Amino acid sequence: MTRSRAIIVIALVAVALALAWSARPRAETQTERVDRITSELRCVVCQGLSVKDSPSESARQMKEIVVQRVAEGRTDDQIRDEFRANYGDWVVLAPSLASWSGVVWLLPILAVLAGLAFAWRWTRERSVPLPEAPPAQLAALRERVAREESLDLPVDAS
Amino acid sequence: MAPASGMSRALRLGIVIAIGALVVVLVLAFRRDPHDIRTGTVGKPAAAFTVQKLDGSGALALDEARGKVTVVNFFASWCIPCKEENPALVRTYERYRSSDVVFLGVLYQDSRDSGLQYVRDNGVTWPTGSDDDGRVAFAYGVFGIPETYFIGADGVIAGRHIGPIDETTLVNAIDTLRAQAKK
Amino acid sequence: MTFADLGSAALRAALPLAIWGCGAAAYAVAKRDGRALASARWSALLAFVLVVLAALAMEGALVTHDFSVQYVALNNARETPLFFTIISLWAALEGSILLWTLVLAGATAYVAWRGTRELPRLGTTALAVLLGMVTFFLLLITTPAADPFVRIDAPANGNGPNPLLQNHPLMALHPPLLYLGYVLFSVPFAYAIASLIIGEAGDRWLVATRRFALVSWGLLGVGIVAGSWWSYAVLGWGGYWAWDPVENAAIMPWLTATAYLHSVMVEEKRRLLRTWNLSLVITTFALTILGTFLTRSGVVNSVHAFTQSAIGPLLLGYFVTIVVLSVGLMLWRMPRLADQGGLGAPLSREAVFLFQNVVFVAATLTVLLGTLYPLIAEAISGAQLSIGRPYFDRVEVPLALALLFLMGIGPQLPWHGASRTTLERQFTAPLVAAAVGAVIAVIAGIDTPFAVLTYALAFFVAATVVQEFVRGTQARHVLHGESRGEAFANLLRRNGRRYGGYIVHLGIVVIAVAVATSQAGTVQQEKTLFAGDTMTAGPYTLTLANLRAASEPQRDLLVADVDVTGSGANEHLHPALVFYPNSTQAVGSPGIAAGPRDDIYTILVAYDTRANTWATIRVLVIPLVSWLWLGGLIVGLGAVIAALPQPKRRTAPVRVVEAPVPVEG
Repeated sequence: MTRSRAIIVIALVAVALALAWSARPRAETQTERVDRITSELRCVVCQGLSVKDSPSESARQMKEIVVQRVAEGRTDDQIRDEFRANYGDWVVLAPSLASWSGVVWLLPILAVLAGLAFAWRWTRERSVPLPEAPPAQLAALRERVAREESLDLPVDAS
Repeated sequence: MAPASGMSRALRLGIVIAIGALVVVLVLAFRRDPHDIRTGTVGKPAAAFTVQKLDGSGALALDEARGKVTVVNFFASWCIPCKEENPALVRTYERYRSSDVVFLGVLYQDSRDSGLQYVRDNGVTWPTGSDDDGRVAFAYGVFGIPETYFIGADGVIAGRHIGPIDETTLVNAIDTLRAQAKK
Repeated sequence: MTFADLGSAALRAALPLAIWGCGAAAYAVAKRDGRALASARWSALLAFVLVVLAALAMEGALVTHDFSVQYVALNNARETPLFFTIISLWAALEGSILLWTLVLAGATAYVAWRGTRELPRLGTTALAVLLGMVTFFLLLITTPAADPFVRIDAPANGNGPNPLLQNHPLMALHPPLLYLGYVLFSVPFAYAIASLIIGEAGDRWLVATRRFALVSWGLLGVGIVAGSWWSYAVLGWGGYWAWDPVENAAIMPWLTATAYLHSVMVEEKRRLLRTWNLSLVITTFALTILGTFLTRSGVVNSVHAFTQSAIGPLLLGYFVTIVVLSVGLMLWRMPRLADQGGLGAPLSREAVFLFQNVVFVAATLTVLLGTLYPLIAEAISGAQLSIGRPYFDRVEVPLALALLFLMGIGPQLPWHGASRTTLERQFTAPLVAAAVGAVIAVIAGIDTPFAVLTYALAFFVAATVVQEFVRGTQARHVLHGESRGEAFANLLRRNGRRYGGYIVHLGIVVIAVAVATSQAGTVQQEKTLFAGDTMTAGPYTLTLANLRAASEPQRDLLVADVDVTGSGANEHLHPALVFYPNSTQAVGSPGIAAGPRDDIYTILVAYDTRANTWATIRVLVIPLVSWLWLGGLIVGLGAVIAALPQPKRRTAPVRVVEAPVPVEG
């Protein structure tokens, strides 16, 4: 193996190790769990902010409710369901995969795959080259081009 | 000229359909009011609550209104539309005073002193209490104030009104619920 | 005659001029009539002058507090400071449309003056298209839908600007930048449509408007960053991007415009992707109109939904017309646009550009779907649901990382394909840099997988850019005998497109690192403090020194004085709640200490309404967020370098303007 290839392999391994380290399973603290749940709930008096992000009184009160529910041992789904029961599906900031609307999660993947398939066909496809024009027609075309480009006008200097 | 392939015909059709769909959606979007969010609690049993009365004279519980048509109004002293709707509430309250319709006011995100001052200044004579930690508002699905909830004699939330309410709406709702209760 | 009368008259005089000019330009092209062309030119120029007059008249009405003008009464008050009075020209709907019309009329005048001389047939057709668009906008602002000069009985004092709009001087920058970006893209669009109308199969429209597209893209990009900065500094929640519908409306055309800037290089070099480029131009322009529609029509809940008016259906109609006409023209002319040859090797620059385009379009479609899906769902089934940050973040981040990767390998791969030795030569050092970046991320504690990957890719791309500059400088040094400094400067001057583009990439890298770090490393604390109490957040200690009421001419404030110490910091911040006379609820004003490493962001969340004894303070320690704004500046700088005209070459120039019909014998 050449030196540069060895270096490339080592570099890639280092990146992979760093990624693996960052992806190590870590126990979620209660605070982190509250943060995660509140980041998925919509602040009802704000323009699209999550309960976690919003500094409004309503959001802070809702966060307290989540804290209490987490301390009581409720699951994430139970907490979300309670919010949805009181405020409707609108209060959850992204549809769950299980619902009909879960299809929105698939779209980006589909779009990329479709685009790549399209692009792949394009790199393979070669279109028919245009036939060459005969010389007489060529001259006529050139003249026409020159005429059209100048518009054949007595354009004034204004 | 290179011939238009079959793919390009499907592509043309696809583009036309996609754009048509987009336009239809956008036109339909005009019909909805982005500020009208339906709450989830309408049609469900009203959550029980107990709050401290503003005048400090003890607790106020929804339970006291069990079996009666109830109007719950969420308000605050800093809320200008609340002040605007108040005369309608007062008139309606007076109208049904001798009947067994219950009016309850819940103070929302406000200090008790300010709430008490507001209640005194604006002639609010029905029982009012303070939702200190927002649990009552949460249980009812309150988005903002003023909001008024109508609870039937069966304890189910029959309807909700967002924004300042007028006397006609109040009277219609109460009469409907009272008629249902008699059956 | 008052300012309002002057402005109103000017607009109403400009409208028939625009209509006349449009017809004259169309006639000039159809009948090769020089006099009609001259007439069209003068109409365009005069229309522009009149719109400038109208804008100045509106400023006059604002500055003199003429409350008989409804717009002034709603958006200005006597006590509003002069600076904010002047910039309230674009504070609300009518003024914004006036600003749009002004920029559009200016661009049209430019095309009338220069464009019709450089490329007579194409330019004049483009002029006709542009004047058609100017006509539409003039129609908008002379009807009650968006007329800024509507008169009312003058009240004693006006409402004053929306509280959110007089908190920060950035309001002076963000809307004009954004509008310049949006509107200047009309020119490439007009040229593209013109080339379709007159049936050209060539690339002249593209080359003629290259600089316009680049400048418009750059302004839009910087405008978006400015909007982010405003959101961060003013809205007071500590973030800079919330996937609000209006933010999405701005970024969508920017994404497709970025794709376009790259794929035009493929068209110039390899004569491919003609249909694709036309589609991109049309899509970008359509998205700018769609964006305006979403912002102004009130169909979506948004930060920007300040007013709602009849303009919604009109803008929708305009959007539909544009799309139907453009797509119709394209489908009609599609046979003429067939490419010559295929793309060739998958590991070539043009292939990477194509993949990059695919990702950009996927990103745009995702943002579009996410923004519109609640509307669609409600229209179909009546269900009300939300699509917000959890969706957009999770979907767009992987796409953004893919783009970072492509950004690193694209410029390094040659046109037509690369050999293995080329790959090794180009990518060894950058891969080492990637490893270094990943390790730095882990050591610094920015250790979510996405953040580590971002760092690795960012360092990768940065290394490729540095490598290019080093090699380019070295080559000039050796070949032309220039000193290294001279060589570097000449790289930027003589090959501004390429090296300016590299600087843009560097700016994007800086932004990527800033976003990854601030998202992964923010520390948030909230505590109720009495005067003298302290709280800690990260390495910092915050003390509530005082909670006091303050008064300014147009607003009252409740200010918390917070002292920040620890880790070398010594700051005095003043998060506040601001009370405006015409508003029921207070507006939060954050206290921010910006720094090269951390921003310390304080919010006054709640306070003792009785006696001002305690205050609840929320603190966010946000690492590297200042690098976001820096990155935006670097992107702008790169765009400027890329857009500057090159100095005259010493060798014979390459003919840029090609014959429209391929006649190679």
